[in-house]
Amino acid sequence: MTLAQTEITLPGPGPGRVRAWTATLSGGDVTRLVALATVALVFIGFAVTTRGFFTSWNILNVIEQSAIPGILALAMALVILTGGSDVQTGGIDLSLAANMGLSAAIFAVALRAGWGEPAALAATLGAGMLVGVVNGLAVVRLGILPLLATLAMSNIVGGLELVLTENTVIPATSPILNVLSAGSFLGLSSLTWVLILVSTLAAVILHASPPGLRLYATGGHPEAARAAGVSVGRLILGSYAVAGFTAAFAAILSVSRLSASSTGTGEMLLSILAAALLGTVFSRRGVPTVAGTLIAVLFIGFLSNGFQLKGLSSNWVSGVQGALILAVVAATALNRRKGG
Amino acid sequence: MTPTSIRSALVALVASTALTGAALADDAKPLAGKTIGITTIRADNQADRLFYQSAIAEVEALGGTVIGLDAQSNDQTQIAHIQTLIAQKPDAVIEILGNLEVLEPWLAKVTEAGIPLFTIDTTSKAAVNVVASDNYGLGSALALQLVNDIGAKGNVLVFNGFYSVPPCRIRYDQFRYVLKDFPEITVIEPELRDVIPNTAQRAYSDVTDMLTKYPNEGDISAVWSCWDVPLIGATQAIDASGRKGIYTYGVDGSPDFLDQVADPESAGGAVVVQQLVEMGKVSARNVAAYLNGETVPPVTFVPGIIVTKKNADEVIPTLPATD
Repeated sequence: MTLAQTEITLPGPGPGRVRAWTATLSGGDVTRLVALATVALVFIGFAVTTRGFFTSWNILNVIEQSAIPGILALAMALVILTGGSDVQTGGIDLSLAANMGLSAAIFAVALRAGWGEPAALAATLGAGMLVGVVNGLAVVRLGILPLLATLAMSNIVGGLELVLTENTVIPATSPILNVLSAGSFLGLSSLTWVLILVSTLAAVILHASPPGLRLYATGGHPEAARAAGVSVGRLILGSYAVAGFTAAFAAILSVSRLSASSTGTGEMLLSILAAALLGTVFSRRGVPTVAGTLIAVLFIGFLSNGFQLKGLSSNWVSGVQGALILAVVAATALNRRKGG
Repeated sequence: MTPTSIRSALVALVASTALTGAALADDAKPLAGKTIGITTIRADNQADRLFYQSAIAEVEALGGTVIGLDAQSNDQTQIAHIQTLIAQKPDAVIEILGNLEVLEPWLAKVTEAGIPLFTIDTTSKAAVNVVASDNYGLGSALALQLVNDIGAKGNVLVFNGFYSVPPCRIRYDQFRYVLKDFPEITVIEPELRDVIPNTAQRAYSDVTDMLTKYPNEGDISAVWSCWDVPLIGATQAIDASGRKGIYTYGVDGSPDFLDQVADPESAGGAVVVQQLVEMGKVSARNVAAYLNGETVPPVTFVPGIIVTKKNADEVIPTLPATD
């Protein structure tokens, strides 16, 4: 898609000069610039008008609060980029948030039952990954649409969490949880460091390694990837398995933050889906990237924080997240129709 | 203990708590120029909403500025809100309800940041002051009323989904403590779990199932809960089934449950009405007193008022306004 096709005109000194400048930009570039400018404007807007928003303490808080949704959004991004970004038939994992809830419950229940930390960790990460593997098998082997397979899984997993916890808060303490909840290094909290490390690892794997290239090829052009000898089915299955493992990893962070497993984790789905989809807008090719996903997660975090500080109901944040999902999905559908 | 002596004990208890209430009418102190952060786990049922709204209104009436944050029943969100409030460095924080296990480390961080913490219904060691109903008194009063009404024998269905919320824990423990002396009363196991959201709907279906499981008259004599929203559904389920001889008992004073208690044909048995608006106000006034250099007691108890089928017509018109 080019600018000539979309007939976008930008304000500037003169129409001729603007067209000459924008003629070198693709539609993707313009979308990216507009998206980045919007993020910057929203941030500056809150910074200027909202007391206490632009302080180092508040900014560090928002980054720390973004760690868990950020890691889950990276898992969602992995599934989308491997399964393809078509929202109807492409990769998506609607069970991520519920999986985190179940994994957190397993961890807390195992600790309460007197299991040692290593056994509890293994059970938690294993269970989370198992949920991911079942998702992957449903999608790859049974050919069920990911949207439906993972929606069904979300319900199953949510039900299991209720059975396990009887819908109550289960307190949990262990040495690793103490380090995660109270530790800090160079002024940054443990959770912030975990987000940095996980993002760096994801960026290296996805953007600077042969497996990353194969994942993008699988999502972008599955037939071409298959012809080139890439094991498409196995990679898609693997992406769901890694996403499940990541959900369990995030669950341990969540238990550390709450000193317990708690109900209502499923509500996080909207923000992680919004972040992963919005993240595609920040990439040149309209595909999920680590940087794009992180910008989107932080954008949603700052939006939510700004709304809180302005005294606006958090219902508005849910509304804005829903609108963002709709806008990105609509833009993707529109682009595909024009492209086709 | 005979039913008559139980009644006398109840009257004495209500009278003594009413006396405590007289001490609450403290002179309000100004909060001009002060910012008060107020965080609640939720504000969608009457009790939570009135705590939250009345605390906000009172801080504003005293000239203070409020940063009010409602976590909509999500623990993760409330923790984020507390972090946000700490970063804003308000002059004080009022925290309302929530799960103590989740909250305690974060409430300690409020204090560590040098911000005085006040709570409503959250008995935290980090708090300068907690405002609460006398949950010890009202918990045992409600239990005694139940014992009295069912003739000190029978099976009781219990909703116990929120033991980690301090007022619920105290009321439940008091209920169990009273039952120890009445061995002919049995709590049906497993206990039921009340949930948020869809509390009344879920309780309706749970109690309908239990009525099916225990189909004979006398199988169930009472339903108990630490609040009253589940009891709205439970009472509707009993009334719809046409079963007699089952009564429901809870705390708060939601309008629908009060109507059921007042209705002679309904299973609504008794409710301890909390002075919800007063509790929010008292917390704000305690903040003002503290910030003006006065000593504030660690706990401010606000008396509850018991409404039973027998006294409903007389007591309900005298209840404090909720708007």
